[in-house]
Amino acid sequence: MPPRLRCAVPRGLGSAINPSRTTSRSAVLLLPSAPAPAAVSATRQYATAAVASTGSSFRLPADYIPPTKPPTARPSDTRKSQLLRTYTSLLRSTPLILIFQHNNLTAVEWAAVRRELRLALGKISSDGTESAEVASRAELQVIRTRIFDVALKIVEFHDPSKVAPTETSALSGNRIKVVHNHDLSKAAYKAVKAATKGDEPLPESSSYAQISPLLVGPLAIFTLPAVSPAHLATALSILSPSPPAFPAPTRKKSPGYHDPIAQSGFQKLMLVGGRIEDKVFDLEGVKWVGGIDGGLDALRAQLVYMLQSAGLGLTTALEGASKSLWLTMESRRSVLEEEQNGGKEGAKEDAKEGEKTESS
Amino acid sequence: MITRFITDVTTRFNPFSARAKSARLFLSFLPPTARSSGMSINAKLLPRASTEPSTLQIKFKDGKEMKLDCESMGIKSIVEEVDRHSRLLQKEADLAAA
Repeated sequence: MPPRLRCAVPRGLGSAINPSRTTSRSAVLLLPSAPAPAAVSATRQYATAAVASTGSSFRLPADYIPPTKPPTARPSDTRKSQLLRTYTSLLRSTPLILIFQHNNLTAVEWAAVRRELRLALGKISSDGTESAEVASRAELQVIRTRIFDVALKIVEFHDPSKVAPTETSALSGNRIKVVHNHDLSKAAYKAVKAATKGDEPLPESSSYAQISPLLVGPLAIFTLPAVSPAHLATALSILSPSPPAFPAPTRKKSPGYHDPIAQSGFQKLMLVGGRIEDKVFDLEGVKWVGGIDGGLDALRAQLVYMLQSAGLGLTTALEGASKSLWLTMESRRSVLEEEQNGGKEGAKEDAKEGEKTESS
Repeated sequence: MITRFITDVTTRFNPFSARAKSARLFLSFLPPTARSSGMSINAKLLPRASTEPSTLQIKFKDGKEMKLDCESMGIKSIVEEVDRHSRLLQKEADLAAA
């Protein structure tokens, strides 16, 4: 290490070797309000002083919002808030939810119930198909009732596309417009408050108003990633069997289902309702959806057949008029041709006949 | 809640009615071993459109039957009613054991 010189470093040299200068310049580039770079260049002491001053004045804009931490109405780092976010995303993405009340199931009973459900769903689908995919994503989970209630409100009453952007400054000091429309945002909170404010009941058409009386006590939900009546029927026959349409599996086929632990678990589960494609169904409605033969594809095929046959009738009806016109004209033409070629007597008769057929 | 002396619980309610809350909560108060220890529990769910009032019938070991009106009573008052009789039975059982 060279000995330290006590004298001041010559100007040119100091400015050339001083590494702090570049950093101060980059800071200056970042902050347009910082002092001009000309003041930095004099001596070494001066330069360090300048660096210190720019360091202290490197402040973020007062209304700067880091993009990874948007403002929230609820504390974002608590378990409850994150659970709320999971529920809202679940509600937005899951078309079929069955709601069960669970009355004090023990852990082994839950395990037995889930095992039987998984086995039964696995049986109805072969590997690698879409239905196996649906079966593998089917889930029975216990929910926090009140948080689920709030999530339902947010999903129904908060429309993220309608939130107006707010103006803040970016890191560079420019004014930019940002939209904070996430589920924990103030906008979501206000939208829900505004919709459920006051004593007047929600309109009957609102799906939250229909489903909210169900959300009482300990609840569990069974979710399927697609509306698949086959899977729904299997789940119903396991979780709430009703003999004619959805019989419980026989003792021979699935002995595990008749295991006393599993049985006591099934007895404690009570299907109270369901939410299918944003519509609320009771027990009968859920059974009706489970009873659709062949699933959605069969329904679509029925619709296509209906539309096709209607179209066929229409085209024949429209075609009929032009076809009969063409036939009469054609017959008239043939009559006239015969008249020109053959004897007059016979042709006249033919023509009369032709006119008769035309008028009739 | 003292559930040792209850032998039979029968309830009917429409889950889509707000008045079914106390009946449903009562079911959730029964212990996990209720069925295995001999209590028979019948819960009948009514369809959505029905306007039948939600009812709760409880039978005790001494043969007393209790019909509770879930429409007007909250879960607290139901538990209070049930416990009032259960405590009597508890006292008798304690005296007999001693």
